[in-house]
Formats: sequence, structure tokens, C-alpha cells
Amino acid sequence: MIVLAVDLLAPDAGLIIWVGITFLALLLLLKKFAWGPILSAMTTREETIHESLSQAERALAEAKQLQSDNSKARREAEVQSQAILREARDEAERIRTEEVDKTRVQIKQLQDSAQAEIEREKENALNSLRNEVADLAIRAAEKILRENLDADRQKKIVDNFLSDLSKN
Amino acid sequence: MMIKRASIFFLLALLALMAIPPFALASDSGETEDFDALHHSANAYYLDFSPFGDIELPRFFVVQHADGGYSLELFRSTTSAIRNGHFTVEIAAADHGAEASEDSTSASSTEVLEEVGDAHNTAGEVTRAELEGHLLAPNGSHVVLDLSISRHLFFAWLSMLLILFLMTRMARMYKRGIGRVTAPKGLFQNFFETIIMFVRDEIARPNLGAKTDKYLPYLLTAFFFILVSNFLGLVPYGATATSSLMITTVLAVFTFVITQMGGTKDYWGHIFWPPGVPGFVKPILIPVEVMGIITKPIALAIRLFANMTAGHLVILSLIGFIFSFAKMFGPGVGYAVAPISVAFALFVYFLEILVSIIQAYVFTMLSALFISMAIQEHDHAHDDTHHGEHVSDHSETVGA
Repeated sequence: MIVLAVDLLAPDAGLIIWVGITFLALLLLLKKFAWGPILSAMTTREETIHESLSQAERALAEAKQLQSDNSKARREAEVQSQAILREARDEAERIRTEEVDKTRVQIKQLQDSAQAEIEREKENALNSLRNEVADLAIRAAEKILRENLDADRQKKIVDNFLSDLSKN
Repeated sequence: MMIKRASIFFLLALLALMAIPPFALASDSGETEDFDALHHSANAYYLDFSPFGDIELPRFFVVQHADGGYSLELFRSTTSAIRNGHFTVEIAAADHGAEASEDSTSASSTEVLEEVGDAHNTAGEVTRAELEGHLLAPNGSHVVLDLSISRHLFFAWLSMLLILFLMTRMARMYKRGIGRVTAPKGLFQNFFETIIMFVRDEIARPNLGAKTDKYLPYLLTAFFFILVSNFLGLVPYGATATSSLMITTVLAVFTFVITQMGGTKDYWGHIFWPPGVPGFVKPILIPVEVMGIITKPIALAIRLFANMTAGHLVILSLIGFIFSFAKMFGPGVGYAVAPISVAFALFVYFLEILVSIIQAYVFTMLSALFISMAIQEHDHAHDDTHHGEHVSDHSETVGA
């Protein structure tokens, strides 16, 4: 038992030398061929991810800015378009009223002129009628004359006739 | 469900049983041989594949001859060294019991061989005890340095090769762009990347901060070497390289050297002119501080060695109970004890898996911590908190 316990803890220079050399070799080999590439790749990847994230964040902020700009512009455009619309409507209303007024005036003028024409025509008609009546009267008188009637009676008949005419 | 569970338990128990040295179970060689748990944990010069036999490992010696000259003697195996090189097995004076008698008989047999010479090459078997012992050079010359490939060295190299293979494969994947420009692919890369990331982010970075990159290769190498070595001791026919005090000492020396190389002026100042104490205390504190830097790696080496040895010893002892009870109270009791022993051994086996990981973590963590303590640039605010009395520090320094 004593011997074996010694064995367990016994110094072994050969083992120390072997392990020392080979562990150092392992360390250098791994450093060059494994840890170097692996760790640098991991760092690169992390940086890329970090970069991408911050880029995305920036892009998002930009997009948000753009969106707010857009909506602001849209609001402005809306306001503007509404103003234009209102203006156009007012203009149309104005033009319409103007037109209506103008038309009304025109109609009025037309009415007036038509009235005047009618008046004139009526006057003309009356005049021509009077002339006709006078002609008729003269012809009637001629007839009466031909039948020899006395003058008073003739006159009375003519007057009656005329007064009847003017009543009509 | 119950059957499934039972079968899983049975499989695990079988694995745990296979992980312990089979020769411990095959205690058939006579009534005088005691079961010895330490046997397995100790170093030896063969790989144990019983019941299929052993594979002897090469023996290399630097020998100083009687005339003062040195030579390097290489043998394919211990048997060859004894038969062809006329080496003899060193016999410890304090040895006792069956092994001692075995040793002495085998030693005498080799002496006989020596006398008879090369004609007797095929005669006699070299025993296990001889394969575990130190060899002495013949004819008045003596072994200056025994560079033989021992079991622990073999498994240390195996784990080194394994790590080298795995990690260069990892590196190749990253070089191809997998994991660098894309996400890591597959179980293999993800698994090991998680471990590497753990060492970097949980062990190295919190301690070393901006200087992480400088020390990370060492920490990773140490972590993986310890982890793989620990696990190699848990597979059937394996041995734990980290249960050798020599190997853990080498690792601790690496940490020690790296720590001292990174030491800043503040670090050395703390050791050789401790601030914050009266002048007359400084001569007392300096040896204490110097002891402090040496005890740290010693603690590292012993902690790892003891942890990795203890688990195996406990498993072996638990299995040993079966044979001790069988010997003391008859085979029936041995059979009765067996399930309990195996169940406990299985439990300890699980514990060992846990300990394997924890010890790799602890060694790396403490290495990182020691390095960080050495590379730290102290500022006055820190001194304040560290030594309590800032004002007295200054007055005493001036007084001294």
C-alpha cells in the first residue's frame, strides 16, 4: 500500500518533460491553426451582426423620419388640395351666380323687348284695324247712300257702329 | 414505462462497470491477492484491455553508464527492456503481501534470464507488477531519465490529438465561411462553439477584460485538454491523464509562468513592497506574498489531481465492496451487495461526469483569475478599498 501511494504521487521527470513539451506544442499549434481562425471568425461574425443591427436601427430611424416627413407632406397637400377645391367651388359658384344673373338680365331684356314688340304690333294692328273699319264704314256708307237714306239716320248708324267698334 | 426505465438503468450500470478497470472485477488470482483500488489510478506502462490482454507501451531511457557516458536506450516494450536490455524491476523495500512476493519472484526470474542470456527470450511472462514498476539499468549503469510512454502520457497525448483533430476541423469550417459570414451549421460546430463562447464570455472576459484575446488561446487549450482528459477516464478502457499529479503540475506551471510573465509593476510592487502596512511588517509580508504566488498553482495542480483521482477511487472501492464482502461472508453476501454497490458506483459515475466538467471550468476560471490579478493596473481607489486605510498607508510610507 505504501509503495502504491508513493507511485500515485511519485515525481516522474520523464512524464513532466513529455507533457510539458507536447502541451506547449499543442498550445502553439492550436493557437495558430485553430483558435486564431475560430476566434477571429467569431469576432468577425459578431461585428457583422452588430454592424447589421445598428445599420438596421439607423435604417428604421430613417424610414420613420421619412414616414413622418411623408405624412406631414401629405397633410400639407391635403390642406392645399382642400383649399384649392374650396376656391374652385367658390369660383364656380360665383361664375354660376354671375351667369344666372346675366341670363336673368338677358331674359328680362328679351321679355321687355318682346313686350315692346307686342305693344307695337298691337298698336299697329289697332291702327290697321281702325283703317279697315274706316274703310268698311265708308263702304257701308256708300251702300247706305246708294239706298238713299237721310243723313241724320246715316250719321246715327255710323256713330253707333263706331262706338260699338271702339267698345270692342 | 417501468421496463424502459429499468433497461436504461441497466445499460448505464453496464457502462459504469465497463469504465472501471476490468481487472478489478476479475479477482481470480488466488486468495492472497487483495483488491487494490489505488492500482488503477496509479500510472503504469501498459494499456489495460483485459480480459483481452494488455498492450505494453514503449520504454525510453536516458542511461548513464559506469564509465560516465550517456546513451539513449529505446525498447518496444517493458518485456523487451527486461529481456533484451537486461533491465530489472526496482523492488521497494517496504513492500508487503502478495505483490511483494510476486515482484521478488519475477525479479529473480529476470535475474535468471540475465544469467542465461538471450537464449531464453521466450521464457517467462512479464507480470503486471513489473509493468507498473520502475526499471533499473543493468551492469552498474543507471537510468538518469525515464522517458517511457506511460499510460497517463498515452491518454494525455490521445486527448491532445483529439482536440487538435476536432479544433482544426472547426477552424476549417470557419475558414470556409461557415460561422463567419453565415450562422454556424450543424451539431458539431454549434456544440463546440458554445463551449468556446462559454470560455470566452464567462471565464476569460469577466476576468481579463480588454486583454482577453492575449490569454484566451491558453485558457481554451487548458480547458479542452482537461475536459477531454477527464472524459477519457470515464470511457471503457480509458485512463484519466489528469489524475496524474505530474500532468496537473505541468498545467499549473503553465498558468504560473503565464501569470508571472504578465505581471505588471503594481503586481510585483504588491509582492515585494506590500502597500498599506507599517514598515516593520513588510519583511514579514514579503515571504507570505511570495508563498502566495507559489501556493496558487500548487493548489491548482492538487485540486485537479485529487478530484480526478478521488472519483475513480470511490467507484473502485464501491465495486471492491462486492469482493470484500464475498471474501468475508461468502459468495452469497457478495451477490447481495452487488446491486447496491453498482447503484452507488453509477451514482458516483454521474458525479464524475459532473466533476469532469466542473474541474475543467474551475482550473480555467482560476487561471484566468490569477492572470487577471497579475495584469491588473492598480489605481488608488482600488488600493483604498483593498487595504482599508489609505491615510495610514501614506504616512507609513513616508515614515519608512
